[in-house]
Amino acid sequence: MGAFLACIQCGRCTGACPESGITPLNIRLLMRMRQLGLPIGGSVPWLCTCCGTCTLRCPRDVRPGDELVRIRSGLVEQGDVPASVQKALEHTFVHRNPFGRSRSRRALWVEALPFRVPHVKDTEERRLLFSCCIHAYDERCMKIPTAFATVLAKAQVEFGILYEEETCCGNEVERLGELGLFEELMEELRKTIGKYGVREIICLSPHCMNAFKVHYGLPIPIYHYSQVLARLFDEGLLKAEKGLTAPCCYHDPCFLGKQNRVFEEPRRVLRMVSSELIEFSRSREISLCCEGGGGRMFYDPDFVYERRAEKRILEAETLKGGRIATACPFCLRMLGDAAIEKGIDVVDITEIVLEVL
Amino acid sequence: MEVIVFVKRVPSFEEEEVRIRQDGSTLDLSGIPFRMNDWDSYALEEAVRLVERFGGSVTAVTIGTDEDDEVLRRSIACGAKDGFLIREGAFVEPIRRAGLAKALIEKEGLRFDLILTGVQAEDDQFASFGGILAGLLKIPYAGMVVGIEEALGDSLTVRREIEGGMQERIRISLPCVLSIQTGINQPRYVSIMGIRRASRVERKVIEGGKILSAERSRLRLERFFYPEKKERAKMLEGDLLGVCQGILGILREKGVL
Repeated sequence: MGAFLACIQCGRCTGACPESGITPLNIRLLMRMRQLGLPIGGSVPWLCTCCGTCTLRCPRDVRPGDELVRIRSGLVEQGDVPASVQKALEHTFVHRNPFGRSRSRRALWVEALPFRVPHVKDTEERRLLFSCCIHAYDERCMKIPTAFATVLAKAQVEFGILYEEETCCGNEVERLGELGLFEELMEELRKTIGKYGVREIICLSPHCMNAFKVHYGLPIPIYHYSQVLARLFDEGLLKAEKGLTAPCCYHDPCFLGKQNRVFEEPRRVLRMVSSELIEFSRSREISLCCEGGGGRMFYDPDFVYERRAEKRILEAETLKGGRIATACPFCLRMLGDAAIEKGIDVVDITEIVLEVL
Repeated sequence: MEVIVFVKRVPSFEEEEVRIRQDGSTLDLSGIPFRMNDWDSYALEEAVRLVERFGGSVTAVTIGTDEDDEVLRRSIACGAKDGFLIREGAFVEPIRRAGLAKALIEKEGLRFDLILTGVQAEDDQFASFGGILAGLLKIPYAGMVVGIEEALGDSLTVRREIEGGMQERIRISLPCVLSIQTGINQPRYVSIMGIRRASRVERKVIEGGKILSAERSRLRLERFFYPEKKERAKMLEGDLLGVCQGILGILREKGVL
């Protein structure tokens, strides 16, 4: 029996949904349509950013976010997928990344480092640093693995990567409802991780961390890199030797905060490296989504509305908090693009850490 | 309407660096991903749409090795009823490919009103299979088809792309061969679950040598090579302003500005 039958139409989901009111997505209405067995199609199901707010707020444990994935999955099986999403899925099938880039260029970011990064199989501790496809191929995001690897090297933490064997973790593929492709990606990566006896994974994206933690069922610890940074500061292996940097506002990534309850560690790191940590009016559980998750990175609706990233930037301007710090490559890109006009810097917490070491 | 569609599995070259093996006789395709030839995806989608409009069925055929079964499964997942793999060696010249196709149709007694192919294959780019096949079958052929508008009993009205940004509308009698241009439709998404389910549908494997005896090649591959580099590109160096002034200078010199 579908959990949606338990929906009492209270509207707590829609009340906090970042898309409701500004786009035609109304998650409460979709649950009602499911109850009545009505067909759902068009652009509406693809507008969801899978931020998880509806699922977090639902008093009946309906998990509307998961129900939406089932709606998308039905459309995927019918072949009824928006063209840009289709491209991303087909690229992921053929090239193992949604951008259709060559696997041989997966680890280009290591070239910016003054030291050699070993393959994880050649490390003692079998600690795997896992980057997201966007870190591998997007020029802006590529700086994050480079920065984090530099920080790890300074703290003398041994780590390795998978080079060309690293593939898409499938988190967005799963949220887009392409469950067959997700299973295929998961099986492949599980095998690779098992083959090299990986004992710990540090994820550079909350999305990959979510996939590994929630879906893969790996018997090893999975960390987001902000958790590793916080621990290294706590243990005294990292110190803000160059003094504190300017104040910053912290933007909670949905897959890190709302969905995996990592709220404190990024803040702890920022308190140790910046002179002041400023909070957005909507932060932690009610943080405003950047609209990059759940496959929205690959789907742009053909109507105009105030993008959530723009709203975030406008608020940051009023807070006069200097720059915005975040801990997710999707947020970095979405907020970064919206911030260009306003001249506000959007940076990853690793980049701030690197400034003070 | 009974439709036969020919599909091909090709290396995905766009982002990959293709290397020629030292003796020049083959390409090193290790690590290169493969997928369905782009033009063929449109031909397949068009075939399925025609059958959805007029009834009938689609049969997919590919010529190649066992690995090429992947494009048959994809075709079945997209809506084809069944598939045939004609097993042949690595390089098959277009006239033999068309000969094999004709032999398969005759030996298997495949009934058809229409044969669809892509305009060309991304790998060898011969762009001749559809035309040769029509010639061998002695039926009409239209290439660069960008629209199938109407089916009237024993004929079709189709739109073809021609030079100068124009199109022409023609009436072609059935049965016929059409080679399909990209953009004629938006191919549907084929899910991985669908492709897995398609594995349960039988695909017949036919040995090429058994339906068409080997003949003397009319076309032989001599070697692969990169075209000679010509010194036509000029790299502008220096700061942004200098580079911009350089570009403006060139545009003025060439009379663009």
